Amino acid sequence: MSRLEQQTFDRKITRRDLIKVFGASAVAATGIFGASNKAFAQSAAHVVILGGGVGGSTFAKYLRFADPDVKITIIEQYPEYITCLRSNDVLVGMHTLDELTFNLDTIRSKYNVNVIIDKVVGADFDKKTVRTQKGETVSYDKLVVSPGIDFVYDNIEGFNEQVADTTHPHAYKAGPQTLKLKQQLENLPQGGTAIVAPPQNPFRCPPGPYERISFFAEYLKKHNPTGKVIVLDPKDRFTKDIPFKKAWERLYGYRSDNSLIEWISGSDGGQVTRLDPKTNQVQAMVEDFQADLINIIPNQRAGKLAQMLDLADESGWCPINRHTFESMRHDEVYVLGDSTIADAMPKSGYAANSQAKVCAKAVADTLKGESPGRAIYSNVCYSLAGQNYGVSIAAIYEVRDGLIQPKGDSAGVSEITDKPAQPILEAVYQKNWHREFVKDVFS
Amino acid sequence: MNRTISISALCLSLITAGAQAAPQPMASGEAMAQQCAPCHGTNGQALTEAMPPLAGMDADTFERAMLAYRDGSRDAVIMDRVARGFTDEEIHAMAIWFEQQPFKPWQDTTLEEAYDASNAADKAMGGQQ
Repeated sequence: MSRLEQQTFDRKITRRDLIKVFGASAVAATGIFGASNKAFAQSAAHVVILGGGVGGSTFAKYLRFADPDVKITIIEQYPEYITCLRSNDVLVGMHTLDELTFNLDTIRSKYNVNVIIDKVVGADFDKKTVRTQKGETVSYDKLVVSPGIDFVYDNIEGFNEQVADTTHPHAYKAGPQTLKLKQQLENLPQGGTAIVAPPQNPFRCPPGPYERISFFAEYLKKHNPTGKVIVLDPKDRFTKDIPFKKAWERLYGYRSDNSLIEWISGSDGGQVTRLDPKTNQVQAMVEDFQADLINIIPNQRAGKLAQMLDLADESGWCPINRHTFESMRHDEVYVLGDSTIADAMPKSGYAANSQAKVCAKAVADTLKGESPGRAIYSNVCYSLAGQNYGVSIAAIYEVRDGLIQPKGDSAGVSEITDKPAQPILEAVYQKNWHREFVKDVFS
Repeated sequence: MNRTISISALCLSLITAGAQAAPQPMASGEAMAQQCAPCHGTNGQALTEAMPPLAGMDADTFERAMLAYRDGSRDAVIMDRVARGFTDEEIHAMAIWFEQQPFKPWQDTTLEEAYDASNAADKAMGGQQ
């Protein structure tokens, strides 16, 4: 018995019952709605979501808010989802991967969403169907794709997916690589050197590498005070760099002779060009470095699914209508989150959640034959520069002159103040935010 | 003088907006309020964190707080930046929307209750949602 059939059996809905409700062709075409004992109206439109991460899950929930009757199906490859959000915490023992692992059970039960655990292998945009690895063909009226990111290795000689999976984890997708990198940090010899190499723009979670660098420094300060973090950055600026660097000065002696962090910018030759995984050497533009731990975070592009479905353009990212997040490349298809070209909005979980809400309302309005309302987006990213030192960036966004741009005078990063409470409060809010955010997405 | 210029600019922007596809001058109260959920909980119904619940908050309290954050007269960590993204009318629409949401945790709220609260907010805005 397949997983899907088992779920259906558990809920005491047989395939025959479903055929009675929907008719045989509907069952064959759309899969089994084992999600709820409430039958969907036969005339209701069917919205199919590919990807049950932050974007896909938020979309399903908020589409249900916008339309009680529409049929909603999520097709997700994995039964569980580990959030990249807060996965840096795992490196220093503030969180376990288990605490960052979520599933779609509440989305299924509370919001009457059909969940299919299967891999999508293709789509026919003319017939409006998607095909899965297990051989199901699912038809849709609207297709929503939230595929995340894919890694690009070809600009660094000697670095590839296999190297990342074995000796040099990038740990920029939460999972086994996260635990491997944690172990490597713990095994760093006294007085050893760790290299962190952030990617070129644009990439998922712009403050992520710099929070990781901060955590490495905090760990060394405590357990390995003669150790050092060298940052080889292809860029000259990074998000929240002013408050991050102020925190590094305050906490890790940054810019002093005993600094735990040395940051080498792109202009100073920070771009890594070659990795020798056997000797643990990296070549940067100006000089070579030897280290005990090398953490290269690869460049990125739209997720594999977006590429397979021809939703990405030559930039590697997906162009969308800024008002609705409908794909500019295929009709009746919408794209959410990190893989989209969203102008001033960063590639963050918060942004994906924000876009999913606007898109859900736009899809619901369109299905009712109404024109979508005015779009409003937001992003707030709290990062930790230390376990009790937070820095943030925030903005409200609107579509103006054809682009998604900050609205009013909202965009800004944490002010540098002498008030000791400010960074502590930001760290408190960061922890509160994470707990509430995952609830808004998954429950 | 300044007033004349700003009124002309407003007229011009209204004419420009009218010529384009987006007719609404602002997003709905609900659409804006939903953007607050990652910190304040779905429909503002987070009751156990440092960020205050917004569900059921008296509209006047919400508006006064947002205006004080926006003009800098109230100390803030992040809400000053957020508030500077909204006009008076937008803050009012969010205030009305949140006032109608039930003051209880989201996980104890049914979808039917949420639909009812959304409809009540629609009515409170005079169907302008």
